[in-house]
Amino acid sequence: MVEIRVDKTASRGIAIAPAYLYQEPDLTPDHYVVDKDQIEQEEERFGEVKRAVLAELEQLAQENSIFAAHLAIADDFTLQEGVLGRIRSGEKNVQQAIAETVEEVAAIFGQMDDEYMRERKADVLDIGKRFLIKCKNIKVQDLAAIQEPVIVVARDLFPSDTVKMNPKYVKGILTQEGGVTSHVSIMAKNYGIPALTGVTGILEKVQNGNRICMDAKSGKIVVEPEESVLAEYKKLLEEEVKEQENIRKYRFMEPVTSEGKRISLCVNVGNTEEIKLALDKNIDGVGLFRTEFLYMENSHFPTEEEQFVVYKEAANLCPKEVTIRTLDIGGDKSLPYYEFDPEENPFLGWRAIRISLDMPELFKTQLRAILRASVFGHIRIMFPMMISLKELAQAKAITEECKEELRREGIPFDENIETGMMMETPASVLLAEEFAKEADFFSIGTNDLTQYILAVDRGNKKIASRYDPFHPAVLKAIEMIIQAGHKYNRKVGMCGELAGDVNAVHKLLQLGLDEFSMSAGNVDYVRKAVIDEAQR
Amino acid sequence: MVSKKLTVKNESGLHARPAGILAQAAMKCNSDVWILIGDKKVQVKSILNLMAAGIKCGTEIELQCEGESEAEDLKGLVELIESGLGE
Repeated sequence: MVEIRVDKTASRGIAIAPAYLYQEPDLTPDHYVVDKDQIEQEEERFGEVKRAVLAELEQLAQENSIFAAHLAIADDFTLQEGVLGRIRSGEKNVQQAIAETVEEVAAIFGQMDDEYMRERKADVLDIGKRFLIKCKNIKVQDLAAIQEPVIVVARDLFPSDTVKMNPKYVKGILTQEGGVTSHVSIMAKNYGIPALTGVTGILEKVQNGNRICMDAKSGKIVVEPEESVLAEYKKLLEEEVKEQENIRKYRFMEPVTSEGKRISLCVNVGNTEEIKLALDKNIDGVGLFRTEFLYMENSHFPTEEEQFVVYKEAANLCPKEVTIRTLDIGGDKSLPYYEFDPEENPFLGWRAIRISLDMPELFKTQLRAILRASVFGHIRIMFPMMISLKELAQAKAITEECKEELRREGIPFDENIETGMMMETPASVLLAEEFAKEADFFSIGTNDLTQYILAVDRGNKKIASRYDPFHPAVLKAIEMIIQAGHKYNRKVGMCGELAGDVNAVHKLLQLGLDEFSMSAGNVDYVRKAVIDEAQR
Repeated sequence: MVSKKLTVKNESGLHARPAGILAQAAMKCNSDVWILIGDKKVQVKSILNLMAAGIKCGTEIELQCEGESEAEDLKGLVELIESGLGE
């Protein structure tokens, strides 16, 4: 039995299940020596591998044209000659020959002055991986194939991994890397999967199939537990299931305050899959649709059409209300196809609305897609990181330009679409009344607001205890925002972590918050807290 | 040996997709096929070589074919490049 402790919870809950070790394959070439009389056999080995890779790529190419180019590269004459030449020299086995040739070709692309060509280096390396996987006969793990309860243990998980996981079978997640604000955490919270990230050494301590008990709320992990410990966790799990059943009773009760005010309960999502999962929580809408993933999980800036399809699906799925936040990205997040200059202080840097206003064509592509989708439901547009009325006026003017274009093109959109803003900078708090005259609604982003008001970096472990959304200065700022909004009859919501914290419900209701938007996993708990508050 | 001078019209030059189409078409030819740009000589049957040559829009190239069916091969490839290589 091994016990591990972690101090931060990514997504709470109890899980008991066998470990599913998800490892990136080791593609280092084996070092065996090829005798002279085996060279021909080694050449033939390359032929077999190549045929297998081509067959695989042909399949993929039918679904995605990117792979058509991969297919041509894999079938390439230069690549083949490079590999066969090395094998014939008698100094390299097929794996070493492939690795070296691929590296050589990738280096050529990496040195080119054209950015597009430089990025093709990744294609070449990806193809090299396919060859080596086949050569080494590695079985690639497929998270989508998991069909029994497991706790996934990995170095880190990427959006392309998590999207394949079936929450029905993935009972828990443990990753060696990643923090509480990483992609895995957000995903786990939305799906209600217990998760702990930043678990140092977990990959060495756990073997595939080991039984694991985890209590993500208190940050405890037990590998191969003794009977008594296992019994303890089983009891905890039972209690949790009971608590969840109890909480579900509230699901169809109206969240109304003691003064009779109906509170809106919404969810924060990053894609349409998350909306589908949130729908059975009886939500009033999507209070925050992050559009970053559309840009980050892509090989190019998403086109108007690509974005339109996603926003339209969101509006169809959740017709009550979907608040779409325009691109909120900066130097701390990178795009595979666009290089941001390194910044000393990315959180105070070129990000969010600043990028959108500086790159109006990019901004317009997104706004047109949102506007076009607006006829399919009730969509609201939200601008992030505002610091001045001038910025808001500019953003609104560009939105108007897009509307005018669409009118001219005869493309329908919701003429009454609301444009609001995130309240997350100290400047927006101090100017809240002025902003309230111009913005149709406010949504308080407490994560950034807290770090900007307190001048505390939320990613810095050394000062983590100083990051406190309950700090009187932060609460004061929230109060100022709500009062300013209400003075001009604006609905004021909150989409930061604080909105999903049951311990904050009492205070936020007192301050007059109209809408709470949170991870889907928190909705039931906040609903219960609001209802309990009214009955106190 | 036959050859013809051409200008690449593809907006982003011979990037992966058009280069792939050209390389595949060249592979079907019996002749040896080369592109000459300045003093560089590029093997057209290799998409990697083609891409690595970094041929941009507006670049003047000389297409060369050598082999029994050279006239026919050159004609076909010139038409393909002039039609924009599927773009």
